[in-house]
Amino acid sequence: MIFRIFRKELLDTLRDRRTLMTMLVIPILAFPIIINVFVEISKSFEEGADTKMMKVGIVGDHNKNYIQQLEQIPAAVGPKKIVVFKDSLTLRKAIEADQIQLGLIIPANENNLRENQQTITINWLLDASEVGRSERAALYGSSLQANADAQRLQTLGLRPEQIKPLANNTINCASDKKMLGQLAGGILPYIFIAFGFIGCMYPAIDLFTGEKERGTLETLLTVPVARWKILIGKMLVVVSSGMLAASCSLIGLFISIEFLDLTDNQEILKVIHGILTPYFISSLLALLLPLVIFFAGVMIPIAIYAKSFKEAQSIITPLNIVMVLPAMVGFFPGIELNLNTAFIPVVNVVLATKELVAGTLSWLYFAGVFSVMCLLATLAIVLSYKQFGKESNILS
Amino acid sequence: MISIQNLNKTFTLTKQQRKELNTDQKTATAVQDLSFSCQPGRVFSLLGPNGAGKTTTLRMIATLIAPTTGQIHINGINALSQPQEARKHIGFLTGSTGLYARLTPIEVIDYYADLYGVEKAAREQRKEELFSLLHMQDFLHKRIGKLSTGMKQKVSICRTMIHDPSVVIFDEPTSGLDVITAENIIKLIRSCKDQGKTVIFSSHIMSEVDLLCDDLAIIHQGTLKYNGTMADFRANMQTANLTEEFIRIVQAPNSQL
Repeated sequence: MIFRIFRKELLDTLRDRRTLMTMLVIPILAFPIIINVFVEISKSFEEGADTKMMKVGIVGDHNKNYIQQLEQIPAAVGPKKIVVFKDSLTLRKAIEADQIQLGLIIPANENNLRENQQTITINWLLDASEVGRSERAALYGSSLQANADAQRLQTLGLRPEQIKPLANNTINCASDKKMLGQLAGGILPYIFIAFGFIGCMYPAIDLFTGEKERGTLETLLTVPVARWKILIGKMLVVVSSGMLAASCSLIGLFISIEFLDLTDNQEILKVIHGILTPYFISSLLALLLPLVIFFAGVMIPIAIYAKSFKEAQSIITPLNIVMVLPAMVGFFPGIELNLNTAFIPVVNVVLATKELVAGTLSWLYFAGVFSVMCLLATLAIVLSYKQFGKESNILS
Repeated sequence: MISIQNLNKTFTLTKQQRKELNTDQKTATAVQDLSFSCQPGRVFSLLGPNGAGKTTTLRMIATLIAPTTGQIHINGINALSQPQEARKHIGFLTGSTGLYARLTPIEVIDYYADLYGVEKAAREQRKEELFSLLHMQDFLHKRIGKLSTGMKQKVSICRTMIHDPSVVIFDEPTSGLDVITAENIIKLIRSCKDQGKTVIFSSHIMSEVDLLCDDLAIIHQGTLKYNGTMADFRANMQTANLTEEFIRIVQAPNSQL
């Protein structure tokens, strides 16, 4: 009988455009759209910054030594025009008015410092809030630095290695998969959890508050079927919808990587494809299932209690923030799955998923997180059952 | 057959409800010491003004809510200890009954037939009978949301009767319907009576009661004011017509009935 109720509720839900949008369409399209827009905007900014003409104002270069060096920098890093200023105050004002994009101040005693083989400090002025300015200044600066170093070494008659006795080199021992886990492992569980929640939301409201509001619940509860069976049948649809939305978001993410060519790096693509193994998918679904049941179990009592669709929506929507906000913990480095975090709902699933992506999740922690979430899911089901049995909640 | 003995129903009031009702009392009594019985092949009418406790009583009979104290028997089955068994015998239709707008009539009927555990062969025969009786063939596969009020009412009737219940409960079934649509309900009640079913319906429209009922009970503020046959009611009338008599009984103190 539970399956019969599930079948009918699923059919009813699948014919609801609003639920279909949140369950299938939005999760699938969200990532291709978000990532595409993000990449295109970033590209246009980067391209704009690279090709943008920058006026470089210079003060104190009496020998035109620095102007020459700047002019020798290839135009490939971006076009430039050099403007000579008499004093630094006028230069600063021109930068603030965006008439000049970069300013270079050469100290008045530059010749003395050079002759005495001391450090010459040159100052770069720029508006760092503008995209590409800092990068261009760093590029010009490093070019001038390299020239000055070479000149000084020549004067001293030294080779570069004579003044650089030690060089540090870092070798990354982490596998590509682990690196990806650290970088993308934070965002993936966030996506799954957010869509898992949103996927549950509309069916929960529609199947409980909606049924009460439309006057169909009263009739349904007079049939010779135990109320817990009706509840479970409906709850299964809510959970399926949440799981489907989370799965669709995963599909959407892979569509955006596969078809939008966001990365040409074959190593990363290989790792991403490697993640999509039956082991990964089944482990991920096993972690998500009790979490989504927990979400459904929290939403259903609210949906049963609410008198109207609007009321239910106004309570459940803010709950979204409370439930999904802990999922952002995955973005912070240094927070790991341990004996403490394994007991914090939502956070434990995020951290376990992160480790699952990185391939470092131990069976012990997997079982621990799964058990904690199953326990919470059971409590949420009991809470739903108690609310569903209350006369004051079922009658409109 | 429906048998009710000493039925009481008290609701706990929430703070909001206490505020709305302007009362300090934590509970409200909807039904008080109500006893009556409805016989097979007869139409029993539960009469009362708005807020009299009619809907609460019918909801208790339909096992939707439980009485605070008292007994309800449906065809000899204790509805409180065996609600699911009792529900198999009951068909419940209210004036505010909704239907699943995104499903078709045939999907709704099949769903309820499954919920009532109606066997496939019996179901097909029953569907055939009801569809033909209610002239439903033309809109069986259309979405309910796109049907007219009259068509929806026919679907509701069909859903209520698909398991061939021996006890049929109607809570203000013609409320908000036009005369042509209401006529379907009147026909249904008469047909149920002819088939020997036990019928109870609530109403505050005396003309409807006059047309259909064999027995009646009048309740006011949760208590029984009158219980007897329609013939006795007519015979003992102290006013010129049924409506005036109904008002007299409702307004009179119990000692003057």
